[in-house]
Order: sequence, then C-alpha cells, then structure tokens
Amino acid sequence: MQRLKRNFNKIMFALLLVIVLAIILIPIYWIVNTSLKNPREVINPIPSFFPKAPTLANYRAVLTSGLWKNFFNTVIVAVSSTSLSIVIAFFASYALARYKFPFHINRIFLIWVLVVRILPPIVLAVPLFTVFNKIKLINTLGGLIVAFQTYTLPYSIWIIYGFLKALPKEFEEAARIDGAGPMRILLLIVAPLARSGIIATSILSLILAWNEFMFALLFVRSPRLLTLPVVIARYIGEYTTQWGELMAVGLFASVPILIFSNVVYKKQTEGFSMNLK
Amino acid sequence: MRTKERIVYSSFYYMIFAPALLVILFLTIYPITTILYDSFFKYHFVTNVRSFVGLANYTQIIKEELFQRSFLNTLIFTLVASFSEVILGVLLAFLLQRRFWGKRVANLIIIFPMIISTMVICAVWQIFYHFEIGLFNFVLTKIGAQPVGWLTDQRVALFSIILVDIWQWTPFAFLIIQAGIGSIPSDVFEAAQIDGARGSQINMRITLPILWSQIILVLMLRTLDTFRLFDKVYALTGGGPVNSTQTLSFFIYREGFTFFNFGRASAASVITLLVVGFLALFYIRNLLTEE
Repeated sequence: MQRLKRNFNKIMFALLLVIVLAIILIPIYWIVNTSLKNPREVINPIPSFFPKAPTLANYRAVLTSGLWKNFFNTVIVAVSSTSLSIVIAFFASYALARYKFPFHINRIFLIWVLVVRILPPIVLAVPLFTVFNKIKLINTLGGLIVAFQTYTLPYSIWIIYGFLKALPKEFEEAARIDGAGPMRILLLIVAPLARSGIIATSILSLILAWNEFMFALLFVRSPRLLTLPVVIARYIGEYTTQWGELMAVGLFASVPILIFSNVVYKKQTEGFSMNLK
Repeated sequence: MRTKERIVYSSFYYMIFAPALLVILFLTIYPITTILYDSFFKYHFVTNVRSFVGLANYTQIIKEELFQRSFLNTLIFTLVASFSEVILGVLLAFLLQRRFWGKRVANLIIIFPMIISTMVICAVWQIFYHFEIGLFNFVLTKIGAQPVGWLTDQRVALFSIILVDIWQWTPFAFLIIQAGIGSIPSDVFEAAQIDGARGSQINMRITLPILWSQIILVLMLRTLDTFRLFDKVYALTGGGPVNSTQTLSFFIYREGFTFFNFGRASAASVITLLVVGFLALFYIRNLLTEE
C-alpha cells in the first residue's frame, strides 16, 4: 500500500513536470516550427505541430534582406555598453567597497543605484531625448550605448560591489607594503581575484542590453541602425502576414543569449540582494 | 599610512568613483529634475513653444478618462501579474524541491522565458492569440467553444498581456524562491521529518514561513517591474482595443513621442514617479531592515 502510494506520487510528479516543461517549451518550439513553414502553411487555420514541407526560404529571405546589419548593430551595442558599464562599475565599486566617502555618499549612492533599477525607463526617455538631440546622439549607435547605461550600470555596480566587498583585503595590503601603487593593485591584484564575478556580471549585462527595446525604439530611426528587438517589433507591426520570416528573425535574436542560460541560473539570484553595509 | 600616501590613496578613490557618479547623475538626476521643471510648462518639442502654465498639466491629465484608464489598467496588470507570478513561482519551487533525474536540465529550461527577448516572445504569442490561425482558438473550436478575440476583445486583451507576462516572469520568481529554499540548512527538514511531518506540512509550516521575507522581496521586485509595462503593450495591442490596454508608460510614450507634448508627458511622468517612489520606499526599507 505504502509502495503503491509512493509510485502514484512519482507518476503525479512526472506528469506535473511534463506539463510545466511543455508550457515553457511549446512557445519556444513554435518559433522554430513556424520559421520552417512556407507562408501558405503558416496561415492555415489548422496549425500544424510539424512543418509539412520544411523549408529554409524564410531564413534565406531574412538574411538577404540585410538582417546581418541589424544583428551586428545589436552585437556592437550590447558589447560596447556592457564593456563601458563593467569598467565604470568595477572602478566605482572598488572605491565604494574600500573607501569611506564623506556625507554618507557610499550609502546614498548605493541606494540611489537601487532606485534607478526601479524607475520606469520611459520617465527618463523624454528628457534624455532632448539632450541627446542637442549633442547629436539621436539616431546613432553611440547614443544607444550611453542610454543603455541606465540599465546596465546600476546592475553591474550592484553585483560587482557585492563581490568586491566580500574579497579579503590581505592581498592588497601585502602589495601596498611591497610598494605597489593603487592603480597597479587594482588592475593586477583585485581584477584577477574578481574575475569570475566580472565575467558573470558581463553576461547578465549583455543579455539586458541585447534585449533592450524601449530606448532602441525611441532613439534610433534609420532602418540600417536598428537593433534586432526593434526589427522584430517592426515586423509585427508592418508585415503581419510574414510570420515565418518573423520567427526566423526571432531565432537569430534568441540563440546567442540562450547559451548563457547556465550563467543566469547561477548568478541571477545574487543580482538583487545587495549588501548595503 | 603616511600622510602623503593617504592623500594619494584618497584622491585615487575619488578619481575612480567619479565616472560612475557623473554617468548616474547625467542619466537619472538630470532627467528627473528636467521633468519636474517641464511639467509646469506647456511645451511642444517640435514647435519648441514653451509657456508657463503652473499646475495646469497635472489638473488636466488627472481629469482625463484616458489617463485614469491607463492608471487603472497599470494597477490591474501589476497586481494580477505579480501575484500570479510569485504564487506560481513558489508552487514550482516546491514541486522541484525533490531530487530527480534531469533536474539540472529542467531548471535551465524553466528559465528560458526570462532570457529571451520580450519582442520575440510577443511575436510568438501574437501567433498563438491570432483569431483565425492561432493555436488557442484552434483548441477552443476543437472542443466546441466559441473562438475568443484574445487581443481584439476589449474585455480580454489586458488579461492576454498578463498571461504573456506570467509565462515570461514566473521563472524569475521560481529562481529566487528556489535559491531561498536551497539556503535553508537541511537539518531543519530532517528535524521536521523525525517529528513525523509530511511533505506538504513541511512546505506549509516550515519552508513557507522561513521564506516569507524572500517571497515579499520577489513580490516587490515583480510589482515594480510590471508597473513599467510598455514593451508588451507596444508589440501586442498598441494600447487598444478602445484603450483597454493603455498603461501609464504607454500614456507617457504617446504624449511624448507621438504628440511631442513634452510638458504633458513630463507631468504624467512625475505622477508615475510618485507612485513608483511610494512603492520603492517599502522595497528599500525592507531591503535595509533585511540585514
């Protein structure tokens, strides 16, 4: 009887797990499925779970339409904004972790960084649009790289600060006694020690920047400068019947970041619980 | 340290802290003071006409039905989405507590939705929700029910967007709660088991109370994140049908970037900020007392 109950439990668990995984995987599978269908099959009112006549035509159409450019725009913006954030955040976090600035600046700054993470970005978009317009940053990838700092910088400061705070000071003190200057200590001793934290933070920030939509939509207008999320949004708006092509673009926009799922799984949890002491 | 060395060090710390401070000031403090200032003006970006109108922007906006609607929709979306996500996330974390073959892979798959770009997700759900060719209506007609205008019926559209958000962000709640469960020392569970507690009893009476502060924290994070809802409205409904999916962020977007009424957009932003600030106060208080 006991064993029967245990087996029943096991089967129920397996069933629930399969349902959960199906709910998660079906939409993702649908991207691949639809991207391999021809336009006529896509608009068939009876949706098919497998493409009847699999075709790569959608991928061909998308790639010859100049999507590469948008792909590279996305890469450039994501990599540059992440690098910029990581450098600035690493320096600032080190200063905040090792030096007590006057007027409680450490604490105020860290709380403010937390607040920035919470602000609806659209609130910042209107005034930033005016300034960016004045300094000729509208409709440039450089402008996006700066604007993305509103997401990536607070995030990076959070995580790297927590990481540096936990680092023992002994190595730095030993190096200082040996006569190393502060910049040398920071770059040659602290940076290597913090390497794993910095890499993880970079990946999380890359994903944020890769997927960013609002500033990319508002601050860039020329088709050749658009990033992938905005290209997808335009597809949804303008060519609503080209579902196959849309899904092909979607796949291009998803695969490069899905490979980081492992890092996200391990590191995401550290991103929001910051030690403010 | 000698005085000279101390000066070298403190100026070094000031130097490396300065860039972050400047960027944050430029990207956040400056915009916020600007919208505070601009909200008292009738200010059109394209014509560049600017005249002081006092509180007129505020009193006007608050009386508008569209703004009230946006506010209400944002509240509904925020409450329903964040609570559903946290409840489902907790259930999912409990479900996956035990050891089983393939657990690691299952964990990784579960967080896929929160990594994929919102726009890609919206594109797929557009197809699912499609009136004629969508999977949902296909299943509904198959079982003999009437097809639903998922994104075109004004009673349903907001909830269709909520459903997409739940699909995308329940994994986040799951992830944090699971980490919380993982950090509970195992002897707590062992002691409970020795005392004869069953699985569901352990979950309800022991795990849940220990996790309480973590659950509240995830709930607040999701509340603040859902409150800024913009992307999904833009991609799925454009605020329609008949403004039934208008949100505060979308209201600001339309005032600012469709009509270029920067004064009104600023006033709406300030109102939004006040609400967010109110929410954030709880959040930060909680974070600080956590330690």
